[in-house]
Amino acid sequence: MAVSLNSYLIVSAILFSIGVIGVLVRRNPLVIFMSIELMLNAVNLTFMAFANALGSVDGWIFVFLSLTVAAAEVVVGLAIIVAIFRTRKEIDIDEMNTLKG
Amino acid sequence: MSANILAFSAVAALAIASGIGVIAFRNAIYSALSLIVNLLSLALFYLILNGMFIAAAQVLIYAGAIMVLFLFVVTMLSSDKAALQTADHISWQRLVGVIAGIIFAALASFLLLIHAQIAPDAVAQGSNNLFTQISAPGSGNTETFGMALFHGFLFPFEVTSAIIVAAILGAVVLGRRSRAKSED
Repeated sequence: MAVSLNSYLIVSAILFSIGVIGVLVRRNPLVIFMSIELMLNAVNLTFMAFANALGSVDGWIFVFLSLTVAAAEVVVGLAIIVAIFRTRKEIDIDEMNTLKG
Repeated sequence: MSANILAFSAVAALAIASGIGVIAFRNAIYSALSLIVNLLSLALFYLILNGMFIAAAQVLIYAGAIMVLFLFVVTMLSSDKAALQTADHISWQRLVGVIAGIIFAALASFLLLIHAQIAPDAVAQGSNNLFTQISAPGSGNTETFGMALFHGFLFPFEVTSAIIVAAILGAVVLGRRSRAKSED
């Protein structure tokens, strides 16, 4: 007996919600960034589950492209965090309420 | 209980536990290590779902490249512990965040359980396309993926290179020290 599509979708929903809670609750921007990665991967899991259920490869292509975009996003995001830390000397997200230079 | 369900339950428990670990650990290093376990368990999910190439790419790109970058920045920024232990400005943030997240999880699970279903003709449509069949006769998993990527999705694949060049340039510009500061 195979595992149904719905169980994969529910695991993915739980992982996405953990990411949402992380973004809402944590104040370290690095951990918030990791929570965003968690949400991206939860959506990748739904793509893979649907690709398997539909017998189509299109979901794999989406996951592959989203892996690439996630890598690019991490590079730019971490560069921004390092640049903020270099000028402000603090990494509390509540203090970063002005986005001017 | 069959082996499939047993494997799914074990990997799902690992994924959810490590996902909770990402947001629960106080130290950002432990969060990053927990995220690596989460990404590896998702790679196991992809193996269960017949996506061998994507599972390998997940391990290589995420656990190999992205998480190394994360750990590098975490170790670089958390050298002084005092900066991490600042006072909490919004006292109700944690409670409201957890409640909102649990409500979101319940709603999403409910909607997926009730309404997620595959249209009966969708499977037939997916297998009509020549390049998008998972089990094309006589071809391996990676070969199927490559045929789909380089025949059906060539233009998105090429656009990806523009995204990567933009990200590299952005990282170089952001990482460079400003000229006014370097002159003095």
